[in-house]
Amino acid sequence: MLADIGLISLTIAFLFSLYATIVSAYGGWRERTVWVESARNASLLVFPLLTIPVLVIVYSLYTFDFSLAYVYDVSSRAMSPFLRVTALWGGQQGSVLFWAWLMAGFVTIVLLRKWDRDRELMPWVTFVAMLTTAFFVGVVLFITNPFMRLWHVPGAPELTQALFQPANAMPYFPEDGNGLNPLLRHFGMIGHPPTTYLGFTGFVIPFAFAIAALITGQSRRDEWILTTRRWTLFAWIFLSIGLVLGGRWAYDVLGWGGFWGWDPVENAMLMPWLTGTAFLHSVMMTEKRGMMKKWNMVLIILTYSLALFGTFITRTGVISSVHAFAKTALGPAFFAFIGITFLGSLTILYLRWDTLKSDHSLESFVSREAAFVLQNMLFLAVTFAVFWGTVFPLISELVTGTKITVGPPYFQRVTGPIFFALVLLMGVAPLFAWRKQAARSPGKAIWIPFAASLGFTAIWGFSHRIHPASIFGLWLVTFTLSAILAEFWKGIQARHATRGENFVTALFNLISRNHRRYGGYIIHLGVVLIAMGVIGDAYFKQETQGTVSQGEMLSVGGYQLEFQKLLGYPGSDGREIVEAVLGLSQNGQPIRVLNPRRDYFVVQEQPVTVPGVYSTPGVDVYVMLVGWDDNGTSATFKIYVNSLINWVWIGGIVMILGTIIATWSNPAHREATYAFKPEIVISHP
Amino acid sequence: MSQPTANEQEEQSSPTANRKKIGSIIAFAFILALLGLLAWGLRKVQAGPLGTGMAPDFTITGFDGRTVTLSKLRGQVVIVNFWASWCPPCREEAAYLEETWRKYEGEGVVFIGVDWVDTEKEALAYIDEFDITYINGPDIGTRTAQAYNIQGVPETFFVAKNGELRGVHIGALTAPQLDEKIEELLAEQYP
Repeated sequence: MLADIGLISLTIAFLFSLYATIVSAYGGWRERTVWVESARNASLLVFPLLTIPVLVIVYSLYTFDFSLAYVYDVSSRAMSPFLRVTALWGGQQGSVLFWAWLMAGFVTIVLLRKWDRDRELMPWVTFVAMLTTAFFVGVVLFITNPFMRLWHVPGAPELTQALFQPANAMPYFPEDGNGLNPLLRHFGMIGHPPTTYLGFTGFVIPFAFAIAALITGQSRRDEWILTTRRWTLFAWIFLSIGLVLGGRWAYDVLGWGGFWGWDPVENAMLMPWLTGTAFLHSVMMTEKRGMMKKWNMVLIILTYSLALFGTFITRTGVISSVHAFAKTALGPAFFAFIGITFLGSLTILYLRWDTLKSDHSLESFVSREAAFVLQNMLFLAVTFAVFWGTVFPLISELVTGTKITVGPPYFQRVTGPIFFALVLLMGVAPLFAWRKQAARSPGKAIWIPFAASLGFTAIWGFSHRIHPASIFGLWLVTFTLSAILAEFWKGIQARHATRGENFVTALFNLISRNHRRYGGYIIHLGVVLIAMGVIGDAYFKQETQGTVSQGEMLSVGGYQLEFQKLLGYPGSDGREIVEAVLGLSQNGQPIRVLNPRRDYFVVQEQPVTVPGVYSTPGVDVYVMLVGWDDNGTSATFKIYVNSLINWVWIGGIVMILGTIIATWSNPAHREATYAFKPEIVISHP
Repeated sequence: MSQPTANEQEEQSSPTANRKKIGSIIAFAFILALLGLLAWGLRKVQAGPLGTGMAPDFTITGFDGRTVTLSKLRGQVVIVNFWASWCPPCREEAAYLEETWRKYEGEGVVFIGVDWVDTEKEALAYIDEFDITYINGPDIGTRTAQAYNIQGVPETFFVAKNGELRGVHIGALTAPQLDEKIEELLAEQYP
């Protein structure tokens, strides 16, 4: 009964989104306000209409309604209420519904807020956003419907899934469900899909504004691009959180001691993040100097297209991946959709190319502008390298008949130097002024951080003479870190000197008076910390593996692990646990006991490896239980000593804080964001 | 704000128009090529990996010089494992595979490791690291991988005593999945 309400509501949502798409385009084309208003009203109804099926699925998951195939697939009686609710995005059908719902939510916010400000753009924004929403709602309704029921046809060996009762079929109510994939029962995997979806779907708004600006020719004016900046930042930070949570999940659950494997699925998420990052920087060029308008337009379209491309390869499995995916029927429809989106936006861009003109040209190669241009080039270079490595197996198979997969070494070698350059630029660029820079003055500002980092690196390099590249990497990180901190110091000192504020107050006021700038620097700090973690992972990882009997020891990187005993006991959520007890010591001094586990989920017949980790800011000792003999007297362990890895997570948190500060809406400044800054006009000759 | 600049006037001239033309041709060609590639990939992937029917025959020459041909192993249970030294989930299952191999060695079970798109040096280091003793050889020209239509590594195919495929496992194997499958296949009786 409830499921029927959900299905009906879903169907109406689909019809309304189709109606809004067609009518907004007609209204925009004929410039008829009545039609546009009607499209807007229909669009505003889509979100509440989609909320009903979402609630129905959540309620069905919560109340164990196993007659629904989706509930049967992803939940079971042994799962906690919290896990059952998160199972909304634990499977294909639910996650696409969730995706469509989030997208409709964004569209609603835009239509409620921005109506008066960008009146001419709104018909086309509505058109693009609702076309996309209609597509995803259509996919939920026709291809991956979560309201499919289980039916039993007498004589048939397997259950049938159908929306309505097939001939001769009896409704089937299973006692229990299959349960969520055990690998997904982790906080990283619970938070990773929603944040990733918020990021991916959020990019539709900047894209819709960009296309609307192109269609109406409003791209001559720059306000729209500033309106989309905050939306992009919003989508971008969720994508960043999604990336960090995904990495954390891989580290905790997949059990190979790392967090990033250059898998196509990871690359799919990284590419829009890279172009989105490029856009967030180059948009400042448009804002402050009226430059790089074409470029920004290309970046917005590219970011959204890459998000769609990523979703496509993730959901269809077109590019082989070390991850396993369920085969879906989504492919052809999704292919048609990305084809229309790519070709459509390129055509509009081509037709309107000449309306995008810069107000200024580059005046000096040693200026903030030049640094931004270089930064953008580097970001696009990384994106292209990642893209090429991702699609290369397909290309090679098509051309030579042989599938050649480029592994992590390709990505590390190609992107490594570019990322190095980007981190360096991050330290140097803020020291350049807008427009012109006398060649000597950045030198002065760089001097102290440069000397400090060189000194630190010399000491550090002297004591760790193993990897020359790592010494360079650590120099880079310390240099950039001190350059950013020097920026803060300069500001604090200026306030201290001119206003007599104490240093803490000065720091607080510095950030709150210019939250965009200092928020940006804090994001940079986070990136530097992540870079430090990556360097640690790349150069200082140590590992060993061995089978030991009780009382025997394994040692790696100055740590010793003594295998004490093996325990077996039943755990929660329907699992059988085998747990090893290991005494960890460093240079003979006992530190603590580690308990790597193997959880066997009985119903799903799936084991999950839970590492035992001793975590410190400098180093993680990460132990996995690989196997054991039947009587528990000996066991096989794999041990990693991961240096600096925790800085990846700490950096991620710092980035999020920085973004919150950068986007913090200051009521006094809100309107100013959309007006041209008078001081810029004055400074123009 | 929008005074005409040198840049703007320049864009009226024909070299810029030509550049725009060439640029857009390249952009459209790129997008069409990408879409073509994706369409081709999509068609292929929807065929899916092999799991039933007769296991495609192949011959592998191991890194140690031994040679093995699948069709000559009738009467034995064969485990065909596709792997690569650069693949993290492969590392995860490597110790378990070797452990299981040692357990069933001489009981009518054959393990064949097929090293997919790899370099010999890294592959040998991998075999050495996990002390792998069953036959492992490179998949020259990825012919075997294509015959089995693998989607990635690791993938493990289970071949019954009569040479038929009895399913495929995608992703890393963990205890006791492989033991159970081998027991099941060893228990098969043919009239």
